[in-house]
Amino acid sequence: MITGGLDLGTGTIKGVLLEDGRRILATASVPSRGIPTQAARHVLDELAETANIAPGDVDYLCTTGFGRYAIPERNLQVSDFTSSARGAVFLFPKTRLVVDVGTQASRTMTISESGKVLKFKMNEKCAAGAGRFVERCSKYLQVPLDEMGPRSLAAEHPKLISSVCAVLAETEIINNITEGVPLSDILMGVFLSLSQRAYALMRYVGIQPEVTLVGGLVHNVGMVKALHDTVGMDVNVAPDGYYAAALGSAILGHSRILKLSRAPPEAGR
Amino acid sequence: MSAIVAGVDIGSTTAKSVVLGEDSRVLGKSLSPVGVDIVKDAERALESALADAHLSRPEVSFITGTGYGRYKVYFGQLVVTEISCHARGANFLFPGTRLVVDIGGQDTKAIRVNEKGEVVDFAMNDKCAAGTGRFLEVCSNALGYDVAEIGLLSLQAKRAVKLTSTCTVFAESEVTSYVSRGKDPKDILAGLHASIANRTLSLMQRVGVEPEITFTGGVSQNQGMVQALHRRLGTPVNVSPLSPYLGALGAALHGRDRFSGGVS
Repeated sequence: MITGGLDLGTGTIKGVLLEDGRRILATASVPSRGIPTQAARHVLDELAETANIAPGDVDYLCTTGFGRYAIPERNLQVSDFTSSARGAVFLFPKTRLVVDVGTQASRTMTISESGKVLKFKMNEKCAAGAGRFVERCSKYLQVPLDEMGPRSLAAEHPKLISSVCAVLAETEIINNITEGVPLSDILMGVFLSLSQRAYALMRYVGIQPEVTLVGGLVHNVGMVKALHDTVGMDVNVAPDGYYAAALGSAILGHSRILKLSRAPPEAGR
Repeated sequence: MSAIVAGVDIGSTTAKSVVLGEDSRVLGKSLSPVGVDIVKDAERALESALADAHLSRPEVSFITGTGYGRYKVYFGQLVVTEISCHARGANFLFPGTRLVVDIGGQDTKAIRVNEKGEVVDFAMNDKCAAGTGRFLEVCSNALGYDVAEIGLLSLQAKRAVKLTSTCTVFAESEVTSYVSRGKDPKDILAGLHASIANRTLSLMQRVGVEPEITFTGGVSQNQGMVQALHRRLGTPVNVSPLSPYLGALGAALHGRDRFSGGVS
């Protein structure tokens, strides 16, 4: 049985195909631009191609994320908290705290052994704690996004940012460049600033191991190091953590099918 | 004893200076951008105001520095916070002022004042660009306008667009998405001004909204903002062409007090 999970985020649309709720067959992502249904179709086609199946072979489709209601062919939609948590616990079964840093929002949640969300906290009001801040830094520092992490690792004296606001931080960072602060120190300062914001959310729900980072910044080694240093404990990261919410929604889709396929109770008893 | 005094207000975005005559008349003023060398910017601000007044430095008896960069006004004899200076300057220009709203390039303040122009209470946002001049600047750039022209354009709106983002960064994307959906830029601008008026009102409510309200700081010269505040408050706000200079003016007045007090 094949279930599909689609995560329609503010920055990218991610998709996962899952076999029998256990095996990842394919992952794919495209930037969220233009019409969501078309972008989603693109992701679904790419998934089918990678998994070598026909698009019609997907038995059940579950959507999540900001744009989850935009896809008419969905069978189910779940909240981003529920799906991220499920995805995280699938990748790291001992996860008890999930940190999801997305393009426009950061979420943290404590979860049970089965991946149920116990307590959560989100910031979607301010760009300073979100991936958008990193994107902007990449632009005005003229360092490509995928180079920011590796280059930040050379930092000797990370330059902390005192501004809480992404816009005011921009001025501060430009001043730092003018004053000759090394780029690596500035980059690590950006990730530490982001980590501190995530840490504040994490403390709100309660810090407990294992901590798993999911979402758009899992591939960023600078962010992972900064979060580790800020929280003072190891943080789980896996390449598929990028797709955690899509993965989680595919898993939830699978559980739903199992539930539906169980024989309905006979009437009159 | 009376004398010629000057105030220099180094803000986050611009430097202002005012030279006051013996009868407390404004003899000269200047406004210039602040760059990296704040010490030099402060010097230049004072020199320009003196040139405007046709005076030379030795004719000035007392200089007071204020604003975010007040400790860089090395040639001054006194340093006063911009909160006290705006309160004093607003009281001087509009004696009935009980609440001062200062919207600057990078921060916003609401200052409650008494009938003597002394600070009773204040609230400030210097942590977040939303609600400040910076917000207008970022969003007007996103629309392809100069920040100086957007106030009047916003007044030509037919139906203001309602913005949902508080954060400047998110508002910038929201503005762009409205443009691509074919909304009239004037309607978007009206929405931006209304959004700042909302933010300002909540800051004002922290100290208590009491007329008369005097609007100071660089953004006070934006007619769209004056109207948006009026509409949101339901009462007009005092503004004058001198509004951006009220910090420097207040500084000069504080300096005069200190100077005459010291002499007598």
